[in-house]
Amino acid sequence: MRLLRYFLYRVMQMFPIALFIVIINFALIHMAPGDVSILLAGEGADPEYMASVRQSYGLDKPLYQQLGAYIGQLLQGDLGLSFRTREPVIGIIAERVPATLLLAGTALVLASVLGVVIGSFMARRPGSALDTAVTTLSISLFSIPVFWLGLMLILLFAVTLRWLPSSGMMSIAGPREGIGFVLDVAKHMILPVISLSAVWLGQYVRLARSSVSETLAEPYVTTARAIGFPERRVMTRFALRNAMLPIVTVLGLELGLLLSGAVLTETVFSWPGLGRLIYEAILSRDTPVIMGAFLIMSFTVMLAALVTDLLYATLDPRVRL
Amino acid sequence: MKLRTSTILAAAFALPTAALAETTLVMPQQDEPRTLSPGPSSDTGGHGPTSNIYSHLVVMDWGIVEGVAAYGDLADSWEVSEDATTYTFHLNTDARWHDGEDVTSQDVKFTYERIMEKGYTFSSFLRDVKSIETPNDDTVVITLNKPNMAFLPMMAQGAQWTGKIYPEHLWADQEGFDTGPYVNEPIGSGPFKFVRWDRGSAVMLEGNEDYFRGAPEVDTLIFRTIPDANVARAEFEAGQFPYLPFNYAPPLAEAPIFEADPDINVVYTPSHFSRDIQLNLNHEALGNPKVREAIAYAMDREQMNKLAFNNSWTPGYYAGVSSLQKWVNEGARFPEHDAEKAEALLDEAGFPRGDDGWRFSVKVTGPNISDCSAITEILVRQLREVGIEAALDRFDQSTWFSRIQDKQFDISCYFGRYGPDPDAYREHFSTDGARNFMSYSDAELDELAKEANTIRDEATRKQMYDRIQEIVVRDMPYINVFEEQKTSLVRPGWTGFAVMPGGFNKSISWFGVYGVSGPEDAE
Repeated sequence: MRLLRYFLYRVMQMFPIALFIVIINFALIHMAPGDVSILLAGEGADPEYMASVRQSYGLDKPLYQQLGAYIGQLLQGDLGLSFRTREPVIGIIAERVPATLLLAGTALVLASVLGVVIGSFMARRPGSALDTAVTTLSISLFSIPVFWLGLMLILLFAVTLRWLPSSGMMSIAGPREGIGFVLDVAKHMILPVISLSAVWLGQYVRLARSSVSETLAEPYVTTARAIGFPERRVMTRFALRNAMLPIVTVLGLELGLLLSGAVLTETVFSWPGLGRLIYEAILSRDTPVIMGAFLIMSFTVMLAALVTDLLYATLDPRVRL
Repeated sequence: MKLRTSTILAAAFALPTAALAETTLVMPQQDEPRTLSPGPSSDTGGHGPTSNIYSHLVVMDWGIVEGVAAYGDLADSWEVSEDATTYTFHLNTDARWHDGEDVTSQDVKFTYERIMEKGYTFSSFLRDVKSIETPNDDTVVITLNKPNMAFLPMMAQGAQWTGKIYPEHLWADQEGFDTGPYVNEPIGSGPFKFVRWDRGSAVMLEGNEDYFRGAPEVDTLIFRTIPDANVARAEFEAGQFPYLPFNYAPPLAEAPIFEADPDINVVYTPSHFSRDIQLNLNHEALGNPKVREAIAYAMDREQMNKLAFNNSWTPGYYAGVSSLQKWVNEGARFPEHDAEKAEALLDEAGFPRGDDGWRFSVKVTGPNISDCSAITEILVRQLREVGIEAALDRFDQSTWFSRIQDKQFDISCYFGRYGPDPDAYREHFSTDGARNFMSYSDAELDELAKEANTIRDEATRKQMYDRIQEIVVRDMPYINVFEEQKTSLVRPGWTGFAVMPGGFNKSISWFGVYGVSGPEDAE
């Protein structure tokens, strides 16, 4: 009951936050010079045409009026029409979300699971040669720019060895259904998933290692060992469970950034996801798409934070809601 | 049988080879199309697909530099009346829409009238149109309010982007060219038919067997969106496509490596654009003609050419480009590099070096294109050498453009245009010219440019444009720096791309691939 009330309270909280985000986003976008008319006008850049575009999109009205109209629209559940394509923003975003979720989700699961396993393993042998090697490697992975890693992977596996496709999500003339399609997409996913998860992996290894080794030094672990629990049980039942808290926090934060965290990877691998959509929309000042995407992203961040808090309560009974 | 790309593709993607048994051409492009309806607005990602799906009334390609401004696409031929106000176009009688209907003069009239009614971008080329008549199915008569020598060439140039002809029978009940089922499933009359658009990835077209000029050699045409230039280059080197367009081209400093590679042809294409600088005359120092002259002396094009372009660009010393040589006035020449002269002029102009060594400061900016970035970087150094405290200001394309429109710049790199008709001088230098960001104004030039556009006799026109170039070089609101040259990479055996000499009047537009054919030998 208490949990439910907390949950509802938090959900209600999201709306004023969302409104605040909308206003901030709106102001930021409109502070940037230039608008969509420049892009639509093209080479000729005919001033009359640009004025007519501004007028038809309501860009000639004062800012507060534009903001008011936008919020009114939002309240009716309408994200508006894209300036560039004249299609509903919600559809444009929905079309891109699955690709991003597939890429970033796979990479995040891979990185967090693998990272926790490797990290906990290393925590039991602190200072060993292997530990030093893995720590160094994870720091380097963590600091490698993702676009550089992506390019190197493309050069090696797609250009030199020609084992894997270099970019895109599927072969244009390939199958569109059945096992053939799944395999085709899987093949296209390998390189972007590796480059995206490599960065995250380094972070999880370091996090898991330090947090597990801290809990291993706690008295209750010593006690558990003294009682004679098998080491395996000590690790899973006592150490890892407590060490999970900071990991879950980071995972939760990253879950929220899932939709936006892959812009560079998506660009390098020509992945048809949300990150690239936002990037293109910003360059062309397609305000409705930028606003819509930011709004949806901020909701995912808030949802992820909520889920993290709820998970916390389950993992750690000391956290009283 | 032409199997080359198809086999490479099939190997790379492990596809059943049967799916791609004929000539497949993959064209990389940086932007995703916004829509596949070319009429309403400019769309860098859409120009490639739509230029091959739709036809134009008249069009041109890079062959403009061979002196032919426009050639017919749907129009087989045309006549211009004595007073240069009536254009009679005779349409190709074999042209069919992809759904089998005939292309008629009504379609042309419908398209142009809607473009004018809606105020779409192409309407600026149709500004002087008084009426469009269709005496029969194969004849279009366009009457102008007043003679306009730039009408046909500019219409041909604008057709590249937004001036394609739509089928009236499919669009008449739509409100504009941006609504309805055919926006993203286009039915055109061009050499390729629309097959599929995978959002975010690629657009697939197939050769039109019934095209009025005959079926294209390419059977499957794929426009793939590859935003990252490095990835596109890597894929080109891996043989995934036979053509790397100039907007992906590597720095020219690397050109010798490519030239040495027998598996790559480096194609240089002259254009009717220049790379130049526009000076904002509202700036305290730049408003002074002596300062502008000094900047022209401070500029060392040879050094720029060596550092930025591997000495492969042509320095621009005239207010024109050699690809349109017949209009260039060689009597009006920008000065050559002379740093001492520049310093003397700056002293004379009342801007001596201060205690810190600087005379005044300027911000140098430019569009977000690689050659302008290179030019401005070097220009800043050259200006600093004569005591002008220059600094770079960089923006994304949209920001840059809105800043120069608002006159929020000091010096900007620019892509001046001199063709397809010399009326371009009016656009750049007349007081209300759309490309005059300099706040330049000269009464004599205004008058001349306006009149020259209405004169049919080429010799008389030439004299007037000669005078205009004299005025521009005298006042130097802008300084020409280089003639633009496009660098593209092509695999041996592939011919007929618009950037290649053989593509002239066969590619049908800058983005057209109708003239392309692949290697003859099967592997």
